[in-house]
Amino acid sequence: MRAAAVIAGALFLGGGRALAQGAFTIAPLVSLAGHRVDAGFGVERSLGPIIGGVGTVRLGPRFVLAVRALGGSLFGARGVLDRDVGELGVEGSVAIGPWLSLQAGVTRRAYATRVGRQTWTTVAAGATARVAFAGTMIQGVGHAALLPVVSVTGLPDPGVAFRAATGLEYRIRAATLGVEYSLERYDFPVIQGVRRLEQLTALTLLLKLPLP
Amino acid sequence: MRRLVWAALLAVGAAPALAAQGSTEELLVQAHQFYERLEVERALPLLRQIVSPNWPFEVTAAQRVDAYKYLGACLALAGKRDSAVLYFRAAIERDPFTELDGSRFTPAQLATFDEARRRTLAVAVRPVEPARVDPRTTRVTFTVVATHAALVDVKLSAVGAGTPLVLFQGTLEGVREIAWDGLLGNRRLAPPGRYTLAVAGRSRVTGASESARVYFDLRHEVAALEDTLADLDRRVLLPERVSPEAARRDIAKGLGVAAAALLIAGGANGDLGGSERGAADVVAATAAATGVVAFLVHRRHGAIPENVVANARRRAQRDSVNAGVRARNADRIAATVLLVSPAAGEGAGP
Repeated sequence: MRAAAVIAGALFLGGGRALAQGAFTIAPLVSLAGHRVDAGFGVERSLGPIIGGVGTVRLGPRFVLAVRALGGSLFGARGVLDRDVGELGVEGSVAIGPWLSLQAGVTRRAYATRVGRQTWTTVAAGATARVAFAGTMIQGVGHAALLPVVSVTGLPDPGVAFRAATGLEYRIRAATLGVEYSLERYDFPVIQGVRRLEQLTALTLLLKLPLP
Repeated sequence: MRRLVWAALLAVGAAPALAAQGSTEELLVQAHQFYERLEVERALPLLRQIVSPNWPFEVTAAQRVDAYKYLGACLALAGKRDSAVLYFRAAIERDPFTELDGSRFTPAQLATFDEARRRTLAVAVRPVEPARVDPRTTRVTFTVVATHAALVDVKLSAVGAGTPLVLFQGTLEGVREIAWDGLLGNRRLAPPGRYTLAVAGRSRVTGASESARVYFDLRHEVAALEDTLADLDRRVLLPERVSPEAARRDIAKGLGVAAAALLIAGGANGDLGGSERGAADVVAATAAATGVVAFLVHRRHGAIPENVVANARRRAQRDSVNAGVRARNADRIAATVLLVSPAAGEGAGP
């Protein structure tokens, strides 16, 4: 398997968004990512697993810093090249209320195929809302972010780029189990009559553990 | 100019009173001088003028007692014992604390004075002096007197309430100081208020009865006390049970998360082969199931264990803080200082 490095899939910036139990947490995660591209030749699909982790550190009563490292492979369907994906990201989160927090972060992502390599650099700014179920053991999570800065090698900057996610978090003693569906969407400008659309979705399972 | 006029008017108005006191005092001094020179016959008329109802000037109680005392002394020197006793009794009745200085009066005068005391039962208590008393180390002192041997009760009581505290009960002759530790019969510190000290005596010589009383105010000087923390009410405590309404809302929350997942998948996928939304379906189904299960579980077992623990921790913290406050307050109350001041009569007190 041409597995490569690390990946992006999990748009789960959840490490920063999740409930921090202590000063430090670590959250291993596994995602099933789906990648779709329409560059004028029809929709190309690829699907594959992504693994990684998110580490968070609480820097104050309201501020959490998260670092994310992911990697995996996306296997193309019907003639689409397989690709490896890797991602590194850092994100800051500020709680502005018991149910709402704001995030800003930078992500560097790389796609590699046997014929080439492409890197993505994105800056995101968004918000996460939480709604506690009765008993406070379960929380519903919703996240939305704009990606005002997206730089892709070999492509113009997309005109529209955003990320959206929703899911649940289950608190089990000191640990937190999260499940989330996330989606990133990039609409590039029309060039020579062709509009490139690209999308990355992921179903992510994450287990956040406090560090002693 | 106007100030000068007012000053003159005030001076004119005050002049008669000052002159009256001056006249009595001058006459008393003059009588003392005659007495010291043994010019009794010249002293007597002056003293009689002072005690006469026709004396036009103001006579203080002390001046009147002094005049009666010297009248008795003069008459004793003159050999008029019965009259001397009469005047001595008048002095004693007006001030039971009246004494003759043994170094300044003759044995005959002292004997006559003693005779007057034997024939006159008077009990009294000195007005209470303002005092600041720490009951742990010092006492409130009352001075009582019985002019001759008498069975005396000295009782202290709060005005208008409470059972009197007996401070002294027994035979008393002459002056006696009685100490009070600031405690009442229940061995608790006397609360602030107005108090009366009553002295009642029955003569063991004549059988006559006599009583007197004084009033005083008692206040506490205590360092400011701390307030204990109030009871933890529902707004402060976390809910320990899930309400039926909250359990029902769990269904809506689960469905909300499910709808959001489907909305995200459906909205963005339309132009990229959007029917494939398996991941979103998984999350949507999980969220919906979570809402239903949460509703069922919370409806059956509504307890929220972590909130119960958190509330117990808060209650324990509050109890610990309050225990400290009570201990510090108890120390401050134990160091209460009594402030005693004389009062004119029955009333509400300070």
